[in-house]
Amino acid sequence: MSGAIEQPRFTCALGACQSVVAIKKGVPILHSGPGCGVQVSRIIGQGEGYAGGSTMPCTNAEESDVVFGGEKKLRDVVENSFKVIDGDLYVVITGCTAAITGDDVAAVVGEFQEDDKPVVYVEEGGFKSNNYVSHSRVVKAIIDQYVDKFNEDREVIPGLVNVFANIPYQDPYWNGNLEQIKRVLTGIGLKVNILFGNESEGVSEWKSIPQAEFNIFAGSWAGLDIVKHLKRKYGTPYLHFPYTPIGAKETTKFLRAVAEFGNLDQEKVEAYIDREEKKFYAHIDKMASFMLEFRYGIPRRFYTLADASNALGFSKFFLNELGIIPGIQFIVDDIPEKYQESVLEEFSKISDLQTRDVKVVFDPDAGLDQKKLLEDAKDYQDKRLLILGSSWDKHIADELHADLLIISVPVQHRLVMNCGYAGYEGDLRAIEDIYDRVLATYR
Amino acid sequence: MRQIAIYGKGGIGKSTTTQNLTAGLAELGKKIMVVGCDPKADSTRLLLNGLAQRTVLDTLREEGEVDDLKQIEKEGFGGIRCVESGGPEPGVGCAGRGIITSIGMLEDLGAYTDDLDYVFYDVLGDVVCGGFAMPIREGKAKEIYIVASGEMMALYAANNICKGIQKYALKGGVRLGGIICNSRNVDREKELLRHFAEELGSQLIYFVPRDNEVQRAEIKKKTVIDHDPKHPQAQEYRNLAQAIENNTQFVIPKPMTQERLEEILFEFGLMDNIKDNYHI
Repeated sequence: MSGAIEQPRFTCALGACQSVVAIKKGVPILHSGPGCGVQVSRIIGQGEGYAGGSTMPCTNAEESDVVFGGEKKLRDVVENSFKVIDGDLYVVITGCTAAITGDDVAAVVGEFQEDDKPVVYVEEGGFKSNNYVSHSRVVKAIIDQYVDKFNEDREVIPGLVNVFANIPYQDPYWNGNLEQIKRVLTGIGLKVNILFGNESEGVSEWKSIPQAEFNIFAGSWAGLDIVKHLKRKYGTPYLHFPYTPIGAKETTKFLRAVAEFGNLDQEKVEAYIDREEKKFYAHIDKMASFMLEFRYGIPRRFYTLADASNALGFSKFFLNELGIIPGIQFIVDDIPEKYQESVLEEFSKISDLQTRDVKVVFDPDAGLDQKKLLEDAKDYQDKRLLILGSSWDKHIADELHADLLIISVPVQHRLVMNCGYAGYEGDLRAIEDIYDRVLATYR
Repeated sequence: MRQIAIYGKGGIGKSTTTQNLTAGLAELGKKIMVVGCDPKADSTRLLLNGLAQRTVLDTLREEGEVDDLKQIEKEGFGGIRCVESGGPEPGVGCAGRGIITSIGMLEDLGAYTDDLDYVFYDVLGDVVCGGFAMPIREGKAKEIYIVASGEMMALYAANNICKGIQKYALKGGVRLGGIICNSRNVDREKELLRHFAEELGSQLIYFVPRDNEVQRAEIKKKTVIDHDPKHPQAQEYRNLAQAIENNTQFVIPKPMTQERLEEILFEFGLMDNIKDNYHI
């Protein structure tokens, strides 16, 4: 099942190094050829983070390492990384070169693990999969090789949850989104291990993973095997919410699902939801006249080129909260066939008010998807269109005089710091940004 | 579960010996899995009575993924479970990476069940890259047997392989269980192999005499035990199986220098007089 595709919107398996960069004081160590780390961080990254981009220690494998094996070099690089970079957790990830020559990375890293150094390894090989898949493998490796060491006789902490949602850096708003998700879950009385990003407490959160009362996976498929793994390993039950909760309505649904699953105090939860919704609708109230009277025109129809989690989340938001009709949804994350059925089912339930047919195309070839989009858009030339995509979709947005909201990588046309579209505050942000795009074309 | 890797010079008789000895172990009632780690995919022909098996890598290439062990595991003589890694044709690709992938796949599919008494890895002759050492990495084969004969090149290769084994043995749990002699009727072969094995710090665990019954059985796609269970050669393989079953000597090998190997060959490999030729 191989063939050439244009514009993949993800990276090779080595991209999971960014998941390590996303952990506070996490340091990826690459056993790969030169340049892999920088290449990855250009596609799925903005800014190098703590130890990312060109700061990543790397064995820069050259010909002699291929012919004679690179284990000695790896040993040196790992040992010296401890000396040069102050990190809390080091993760050795192999790239294509080491994967082909068959270096025994487990043995090399094992030497340091025996000395109780906080280091784990993941034998990937860029060609093995993509970063959607390898992200899970990195998380599971950290759990199996590091977190597990702290698990003796520890009891479950009531109210503690581990949250697995969008993949850091693959989702350009990962930091803001995780911040928002943590905020609302804390609001309903939970103690949250958000694990990645600014709002995380870093490695100390990871160490308490086994003690969670339950786990939450908010996404379509990439990461589901992590919570399954935790169930097998520690018996922790998990809730699978099938997409990123974007917008107030979906966030309320999400919180109610969590409350039911975790048997939380319904009154407390509803009180929080009530407070947040009031805050949110207060803004909408204030703006209602502007939004209703706005004749210049907000987009009528939107096309998406994104991964399944975000495509679902944004579709529900745009349709149910802003009344924008979904056009073709291109799912570009190379989602395995076995998960496609459930995604289609979620899309069929997209509207709160009626059944609606949404056309969904699973194709990681975003170049081809763009062609199909342009073809389809010919039928709607009189309507203002919105494209949810990446910087690579700017030219088709220009061609169609459509508005472009960047929701996937690569991101070249905006700076992302803590912007997040999940949660109640994310909802307001999203509405502001849509109007921002539209008003920017105001004469 | 004992996990055993069989190494040795290309063409020395690893696959033949492995299949014949596992047939012997199966007769003892053992539950066995044989994993072929050679792109030629000929490690289970005698147990399955033919080269019919779909290899792991072929299955992966054609179907994109392997969900079910049944797609790649077949049952052969004596209930022995057979898996072939497969790999590229000669002159293309990277067989070493193929072995890494297919052994990883076996782990993921849960092939190593608790009811297994033995897992045998039949590894291709020239261990030319890291991938072919996959079976002796931590968590897999703990015992290695090297098949050799009295021929100089076979011993040279066996000694060379010991360098690799020593490296893995020093940092992990794998050990050399012994040398198996697959006789080529070389002068003073048994004595030579015994001294060679002792020089390595190991033992000549069994001397399998040469007998064309093995070739006849092979042409008929069978092990000797299967083809003619009453033949004396069948008993040899049963004895080898018993020797492995009872073995308690596991060592970190001490590979010798070229000079020392040549000395041993000179001392024990040359026949000075008829008295030393024990075949007469």
